[in-house]
Amino acid sequence: MEDAELALRAAGDDGEAFGQLVDRHGLAARRVARAILGLGEDADDAVQNGFIAAWRAIGRFDQRRPFRPWLMRIVANAALDLHRRRKVRDAVAIPDYVATSGVGPDRATDHALFRERLQEALAQLPEKQRIAVVMFDAEGYGHAEIAEVLGVPEGTVRSYVFHARRALRTALDAFKEDTS
Amino acid sequence: MTDFTPFDGRPDPVLGAELRAALTTADAEEFLARTRAAVLEAGAETAWDVLSRWAPRGMLAAAAAAALAWVLAGQPADEPTFSPLASAPVQLEVSPGQPEATVITIAVLEGR
Repeated sequence: MEDAELALRAAGDDGEAFGQLVDRHGLAARRVARAILGLGEDADDAVQNGFIAAWRAIGRFDQRRPFRPWLMRIVANAALDLHRRRKVRDAVAIPDYVATSGVGPDRATDHALFRERLQEALAQLPEKQRIAVVMFDAEGYGHAEIAEVLGVPEGTVRSYVFHARRALRTALDAFKEDTS
Repeated sequence: MTDFTPFDGRPDPVLGAELRAALTTADAEEFLARTRAAVLEAGAETAWDVLSRWAPRGMLAAAAAAALAWVLAGQPADEPTFSPLASAPVQLEVSPGQPEATVITIAVLEGR
């Protein structure tokens, strides 16, 4: 069943239909939230809040438009909102994936280390670059959709993706040199 | 990773796969089940449910405020304070303009 049909049913108070949308898009939503909040529980809370908000607003969803960007915008906003509140709560917050760095080479395989280095490099990026590169390269969103989510012009999203990739590449090249 | 320019509209599949892997943990099924349950539970909640959850606290707060207001308002007033206008003729107190001379004269004669 297509997203639009499930959304229509969910708007008619069909919880099972909305549950299917959660199953279908939950993991992608989690990755976007994690790009903003790190791997901790805050990201899961943001996804949950986002889905709850989406279900309460599903009657206003325009069935002619794609569901996923609409949902992801709500989830990203929930994550950004939580991030802002977390910054107020803890002015020197360290993203979880930065806090897990420093493992020895004997603890994990090279590939696991590579991923950790990638997480660290991702955490160092400015927030909007992080969201843009994850949504574009990992989740397959178009520049226009990301622009809508972030509330910036499409050209700015292109710039975010470009700079994010360059920063990630620099960090990962350094990793390769270290391990070679 | 591919060396794209800012004007390239293609996603990088290698970087994309690595980013997905870096942001995915092994508890995917558990996470989905948890999210689904929480969303359905919260979604089934009506506005009245939310209000009824807040109502007892609201009632308590209102009762406390009413009690406080009653205590403050119920205090007996101290000695009545002297008002310089207390003995002035009514006409002086309420008249917006200059009092007429006869009113002042009568008031003085009557010792008010």
